[in-house]
Amino acid sequence: MSKFKKDSGKSAPGINTSSLPDIVFMLLFFFMVATTTKEADPTVRVVQPEGVRATDMTPYKQRSEIDFVYLGKPMNKARIKDFKSGFALFLDNVAQPDPGELYSTNVIRQWKLDKFNTKPASMNKPIESVITCVKADKEAPTGMIFDMRNELQEINALQIAYAVKDLGNI
Amino acid sequence: MAKREIPEINAGSMADIAFLLLIFFLVTTTMDKDMAYMRAIPKRIENPEPPLPIEKRNICLILANSQNQLMVRGELMTDPDEISEKVKEFYTANEKVNDPKNKFPMYSTISMSQIEQKILQAEKELEETENTPDVMPEIVEFKQAQWDKWVKKKEALEMLGKPQLREIHFQAHVRIEVQKNTSYELFTKIHSELREAIFDLRDEVANDLFGESYGVIHKRYISNEGDKDKQVEASEDKKKIDLLKILYPDRFIEVTPKK
Repeated sequence: MSKFKKDSGKSAPGINTSSLPDIVFMLLFFFMVATTTKEADPTVRVVQPEGVRATDMTPYKQRSEIDFVYLGKPMNKARIKDFKSGFALFLDNVAQPDPGELYSTNVIRQWKLDKFNTKPASMNKPIESVITCVKADKEAPTGMIFDMRNELQEINALQIAYAVKDLGNI
Repeated sequence: MAKREIPEINAGSMADIAFLLLIFFLVTTTMDKDMAYMRAIPKRIENPEPPLPIEKRNICLILANSQNQLMVRGELMTDPDEISEKVKEFYTANEKVNDPKNKFPMYSTISMSQIEQKILQAEKELEETENTPDVMPEIVEFKQAQWDKWVKKKEALEMLGKPQLREIHFQAHVRIEVQKNTSYELFTKIHSELREAIFDLRDEVANDLFGESYGVIHKRYISNEGDKDKQVEASEDKKKIDLLKILYPDRFIEVTPKK
């Protein structure tokens, strides 16, 4: 007589997976809280310059008081020559217009006003305080940024933000 | 009636649904923060008057040309990391004692009784303009702002706890002039350096006066601001920040490039 029974023939008991959804939901909620939704994927390549002590734009994003403008070389290399300076604009929530129209300053004005006018009334802040965040490539010429700035001044949108990659405070 | 047993619902696919949602959120969201330098654009004026002449000592001129070369207050600079030192010098050279011989902005001293007089005067002027028939709303706004400014200065001096408030010349400012082909990298570098200089200066004073850094105060103010239960602390921090802003104001002018 042996002390150890050989349980041959019996299969291993199944693992209880009833708490698996709980774990996954926990993960889900973590990601929902810790991340913000992506703006449109830009079709221009932007390598951001570095800077210190920049302001975090997340609170403005959550209240959608901010519009993003991208300035960089088109991803499609064949299109680079279509633009005078080689740099193209990409505005969020706008289908790409003709290359000729892409960097005409009127586009910015129209885009900003359209975005402002389509917002629900409850979310309306005066247009002066709706931020325009410029995400430009390292190599982008500053002249184009000042062109935008003048356009914004015309329609009285008086907040601009120059995006950088933050290096932290140390 | 016979008791019917309720069949158990199979929850085995719940995990699959949750995974689906999880993956959806992973794909559509980002974790990286958007960091930027916020700047106000000056309001457009229809017929601007010719600007007042400004003494050269009150301007901290930062020039950057199309070849990305830098010039700060008339000196060529090869390393852009040195801008912050220059800006700090600009702000602090005459902070303790005014030296008319150097080329930095002067500081003015004002006492509590003088500030109180100014408040009374501003109040009177505000009342007068409000009672004037057919007055332009801009003028009333301007007088209101004047009055606010003096009240803020009074609060700042109370916070400082000294008999007098020493302030940099009201015209002292940093002027950024770039050219059309200056790279965005250099342009943001200038802003980064300015921010660093101002931050360091405010940090130093904040450490002396309140025993904590400007960054800590500012962060706490931002997080308390929207909280209804923490309004007392928020208003206290606001006063501290206002004082630091009066001591080292961020007055930057960005000039539209012509070529």
